[in-house]
Amino acid sequence: MELFFQSVINSFIQGGFFALWAVGLVLVFGVMGVVNFAHGELVMVGAYTVWVLHSQYGIGYIPALCIAVLLVMFIGLLMERFLFRPKQGDPLGGLINSIGVLFILQVAALVVGGTGPAKQVAPPFPGTLIIQEFLRIPNQRLFSIAVAVAALLLLWFFLTKTKLGWSLRAVALDREAAALQGININRTSMIAIGVSGALAGLAGALMAPISNIYPTMGHNVIITAFIVTIVGGIGSLSGAVLAAVLYAFLHTFVTAYFSGTIATMCGLLIMVLVLIVKPTGIMGQKVSE
Amino acid sequence: MLLSLQDVHVHYNKIAALQGISIEVEEGDFVTLIGSNGAGKSTTLRTISGLERPSAGEIRFKNQSLTRLPPDRILKLGVAQVPEGRRVFKDLTVLENLHLGAFTRGDQAAIKSDLESVFGHFPRLLERSQQLAQTLSGGEQQMLSIGRALMSDPILLLLDEPSLGLAPIVVEEIAKILLEINKRGVAIVLVEQNAELALDLAKRGYVLETGNVALQGEASSLARNEHVKTAYLGI
Ligand SMILES: Nc1ncnc2c1ncn2[C@@H]1O[C@H](COP(=O)(O)OP(=O)(O)O)[C@@H](O)[C@H]1O
Ligand SMILES: [Mg+2]
Repeated sequence: MELFFQSVINSFIQGGFFALWAVGLVLVFGVMGVVNFAHGELVMVGAYTVWVLHSQYGIGYIPALCIAVLLVMFIGLLMERFLFRPKQGDPLGGLINSIGVLFILQVAALVVGGTGPAKQVAPPFPGTLIIQEFLRIPNQRLFSIAVAVAALLLLWFFLTKTKLGWSLRAVALDREAAALQGININRTSMIAIGVSGALAGLAGALMAPISNIYPTMGHNVIITAFIVTIVGGIGSLSGAVLAAVLYAFLHTFVTAYFSGTIATMCGLLIMVLVLIVKPTGIMGQKVSE
Repeated sequence: MLLSLQDVHVHYNKIAALQGISIEVEEGDFVTLIGSNGAGKSTTLRTISGLERPSAGEIRFKNQSLTRLPPDRILKLGVAQVPEGRRVFKDLTVLENLHLGAFTRGDQAAIKSDLESVFGHFPRLLERSQQLAQTLSGGEQQMLSIGRALMSDPILLLLDEPSLGLAPIVVEEIAKILLEINKRGVAIVLVEQNAELALDLAKRGYVLETGNVALQGEASSLARNEHVKTAYLGI
């Protein structure tokens, strides 16, 4: 019973991360039509930034987190300008370019952090919240889930309540019709990848104190983001968030009662099933919200 | 001269869709382009709006070249388009669609008054303003697409087959509104397969055949032309 309740809590925390990973991928795919394979590496860079600035140079955790967000956002903007924009209308070219970035960032992480054991960041918010003796939530995780949920709510507000947000969704729904309304597609792409990068950087910075940091940590991120995106319905942000929470429950429980590898295998199996049975995903339409 | 196309050629991967067409539109004009399927009518409008690049020729609007401008810049100059197939943003509400039509504008008071005038033309859009565009009927979506284009406060309005697939009574309603919009000084280029309707509404017309202008002139004289009668009016 204790394991059960603990797993429920862990599932929500995991779900927050899964959603944070996936929405950035969905946003870039929807607006730019590019599958950004380097999205997991962007998260990794966010985590490394916190490790370098906070653990190595003693800069406060919050400032380090903010710098990670800005740095990864900036990397995203560079990718848009120099790798994706020249490949507009060529999804395969964009994808191959993003795989190039994936390797470059992994090598950069090796250069910065060296080989050897995974890095760790001491939790800046130590201590544990204990509820009713049997539920234990480390404060660091509470902080992470709160920030993740706040970021997702902010994104939701931006996309549904602001004119700029509507313009992003319009481009995702119909590029040409959006261009005919005077929406600048390149500028919209920069906003999409900027937001996507910022969320990836944030996810990495939030993960830094609670997980291992190593150059290929992005693999798990991209696999999870793919599963969540496809199950949620490619291009559907609300579908991705819902699928993230559902998949987090499955993943956490299977990990708790069996093992993490089996959990990921289950996820991939579900993804394949969705692709076969309902390729439009559980939220079943095209793109947005 | 408000808009002029001079000897414009457009190719889709080496296949010529327009083979040197020249078209002129005066301020406040009402011009129609008629022609059968595949004649190049949509390509003409898409090229004016910057969605296709001419391989040769020149397009000028208010003495400015449009030939190399992207679609968003062309819209800002005052050329709006109601594209073929309506192309409303289906997952957005009616109101959000209309606001996106005014995306490049900053003057909130002017936007508000244009919104009211669009709702004046199309009261049904007001009733459905909070609904998603995908819940609208075909005719309502066409009205939304026209309203969205009007929200940019255009000088020139391009419409690509607005009557397609609509009930005659809705077509009539839209025709009436196009005349009203034109009376207020907005120049219109109307592409139609329904040549009878188009020649009835427009002042002048061009007949496109396989990427060329086959005939041009006053709409009323085109309507009396023997070739137009047999080929497009079914008389
Ligand atoms: N995207 C495209 N790719 C290739 N050929 C096209 C494309 N769009 C139109 N065409 C061709 O260009 C010609 C003109 O098409 P279009 O301008 O759509 O004609 P209309 O609107 O008069 O029916 C046709 O032969 C059509 O097959
Ligand atoms: Mg057409």
